[in-house]
Amino acid sequence: MDLETFNPVPITLDPTTKALSSTSPTPDTKLLTELTTLNALHKSLLASDAPNSVPPPPVPVNPRRSAQIQKLRESGNTAFRKNSHSEAIKMYSLGITMALGRPLWEPSGLVREELCQLYANRAQAYMALRSWPEGAVDARCSVELKKVQNAKAWWRRGKCLLEMGRVGEAREWVGEALEFEGVEQDLVALMEEIEGKEKGGRK
Amino acid sequence: MVHWLALALPFAYLGVLVGIMASFSRLYRQNKARKAASLAPWFGPHLQRDLYLSLLHIEPDEKTPRVPESILKAALLRRATEDIHRIISIRNTKSALAALLQRGSVGDDLWQRFQRAEKEIEEELRDVVNEANAFSPNWGATIFQSANEMASNQMIRKRMDELQAQKDSERQWWDHRKASIESDFMNELDRDAATANSAPPAKTAPATSTRVSDDDTVLVEAGGPADKGQSGKNKKKKGKN
Repeated sequence: MDLETFNPVPITLDPTTKALSSTSPTPDTKLLTELTTLNALHKSLLASDAPNSVPPPPVPVNPRRSAQIQKLRESGNTAFRKNSHSEAIKMYSLGITMALGRPLWEPSGLVREELCQLYANRAQAYMALRSWPEGAVDARCSVELKKVQNAKAWWRRGKCLLEMGRVGEAREWVGEALEFEGVEQDLVALMEEIEGKEKGGRK
Repeated sequence: MVHWLALALPFAYLGVLVGIMASFSRLYRQNKARKAASLAPWFGPHLQRDLYLSLLHIEPDEKTPRVPESILKAALLRRATEDIHRIISIRNTKSALAALLQRGSVGDDLWQRFQRAEKEIEEELRDVVNEANAFSPNWGATIFQSANEMASNQMIRKRMDELQAQKDSERQWWDHRKASIESDFMNELDRDAATANSAPPAKTAPATSTRVSDDDTVLVEAGGPADKGQSGKNKKKKGKN
């Protein structure tokens, strides 16, 4: 492969929407997904107020969106404290959508941090409503984004699994959590509870 | 006085020797290059690069307008993102492959293909930087930073979508499970009522299903109806003592 040669791709440009589409009668799925991604990226590039529609370097970040996400999280926390859990879930969900909607070229570390907190908080709100499966999934999301120093999220999924009666899974999960987090008081207590339940179940 | 005639023979000998060696080495290298060229490429076709170059080559006519620069920039960003994936894969592979080669676990062909991919990706990077600089001065310095963030951002979003998609099936499973626990519980209550009303028939009832009878005894010990979770906790406390 040298710099000049390439395989021409059958594409055409819509003159009004400026969207690209494939002209081949039997387009392969790879090309189609690539075109969808490209069109979405093009739109977000145009929507951003970047000069010359060239994405700016990842840092510094536009502070407007960060402030909005922060605000949504705080109003979610306030709603949670007032025991209006479904309201809190709504706020957290809005925050999550907003964080996921960040332009792709913004720092991924920031997205990770924001999502990790939002998912962990939403898991807690779900747990308050005894929606164990949703809580378990959200807590897992939070853990996947940040494995260390995220004991709360580890604990929440463990608790949700236990409440759903999936004792074996819960035991495995909390065991892993203890490896990542070291000796964390809550996790150790949860482990004891699980072990107690296992013994009780076998009896 | 040098005897030129006498020296002619050794010089001719040297000349022939060097000639043979040179032609042999040339043939050998040609052969090797041809073999390397016929090896399969390390990576598959670079779709994003093809797409970008195809866009550059669309000729504007009355039916299709000029491709706007913003699309080209987006396509270049996609190309850079794919390059990031490739660089990461090259870097991750390199040390492992070198170790395998040293131990003789993999053939020379594989190593040659790898080296060619490495060289290609270097050229590719340089090309992308040049293109970026042509669009806007100094973009070349940051395009790969942006592309790197894009690559990891996409990974995060994909993983989150996967995990969140589990919610529906988990919910269904739990609803199902909850319903079955509840119906079990109702059955137990009914049976409890039956045992309370007529003590002797209870002795025959456990014979039908042993599992349920276990639960029954626990419930009676616990002193009345309680849900499954409650009885579980009671069991736990007993287990600890």
